[in-house]
Amino acid sequence: MSDEHDIYARWLAWGTYIALAVLIASFLAYAFALRDPHLPPQELVKLWAFPVDHYIVASGAPTGWGWLALLHKSDYLIFSAVAMLGLVTVVCYARLVPLLLAQGERWRALIAVLQVLVLLGAALY
Amino acid sequence: MMDWWLWPIALFAVTFAIGIVAVLAGVGGGVLFVPIVGALFPFHLDFVRAAGLLLALTGALSAAPALLRAGLASLRLAMPLALIGSITSIVGALVGLALPTDAVQIALGATILAIAALMWRSPARGSEAPAGDALGAALRMNGIYHDAALGRDVEWRVRRTPAAFVVFAGIGLLAGMFGLGAGWANVPAFNLLMGAPLKLAVGSSGLLLSVVDTSAAWVYLNRGAVLPLIVAPSIIGVMLGAKVGARLLLKARPGLVRRIVIALLLISGTRALLKGFGI
Repeated sequence: MSDEHDIYARWLAWGTYIALAVLIASFLAYAFALRDPHLPPQELVKLWAFPVDHYIVASGAPTGWGWLALLHKSDYLIFSAVAMLGLVTVVCYARLVPLLLAQGERWRALIAVLQVLVLLGAALY
Repeated sequence: MMDWWLWPIALFAVTFAIGIVAVLAGVGGGVLFVPIVGALFPFHLDFVRAAGLLLALTGALSAAPALLRAGLASLRLAMPLALIGSITSIVGALVGLALPTDAVQIALGATILAIAALMWRSPARGSEAPAGDALGAALRMNGIYHDAALGRDVEWRVRRTPAAFVVFAGIGLLAGMFGLGAGWANVPAFNLLMGAPLKLAVGSSGLLLSVVDTSAAWVYLNRGAVLPLIVAPSIIGVMLGAKVGARLLLKARPGLVRRIVIALLLISGTRALLKGFGI
């Protein structure tokens, strides 16, 4: 197995394990009401049949990275796990760049840099 | 009206079954999740698509390290195509969230029925290396992997790389728009179009999916379409179901499972189409 595959696989595995552990723990906190949610499940069921724009207006749910301000609420704690799932590939690609440059693979290093920019663009849009 | 806590339990049960069937049939969970949950549950399609993308993403992220370590997934093969697919999946997600729900339902139904037809035919090439093309060579989309079943190293390179960029752009668009994951399309594109060996195509499909779905997932997350009560039990259900499915894989009859999946896709695709037409 090549170095790039080995390192990418290791970083990806750890990132995914941590994100899944946070997802399960935060969902249990939400489901068993260990912390107060921003929107109680009893209210959520009245809104989930409507389009997302209607849900946002009716629930006062944040968009973009506004959920960071609600991390003390159990339903938005779960977002931290989702964000980790969305960032793990960014971190792995960023880790590949110096490896590829060291191997003289400038085109593939450029692709990795562009991929990081695309994913960060999607995350920050 | 059902108590709220019955919904995540029902969702967990359905997604657990989807996880088993998806592994046995060799498809990603997302392609079954969106049409089936969209048909059976009262959630709006915006939330179902976001959850479908996230569970396809989680499945791909979980599988990719083992596939890379086994040499069955290649960063050389996946990286250039993942870049174009991740750009178009952002466009797909934005378009999907902007279109009227009925239009998305109709397009989803038509896509699901097309996937069922693709699965019905699905020929697969052998593992001989085709003559490569210039772009594929310039991007170093070639290598060697060890096929344990054949007991030897298999050399691979790719052909029709420019056409593959166009096809993977289209696949990314559909993945982002419908939250389906895209293993159903990646594997034939890698194998039939580009001539990559089938095992490498299957493994690299998961790796590519982990990148393409990441960009679209951010769009849904940023628009507020991620509902924890739908996403968390679905991901946990599919992941546990996939583990059971992997254990059953040795005993299952793949032909029968494949026919069941095609039937499920036909039913749920037709249901989505009818919903879109208001029937």
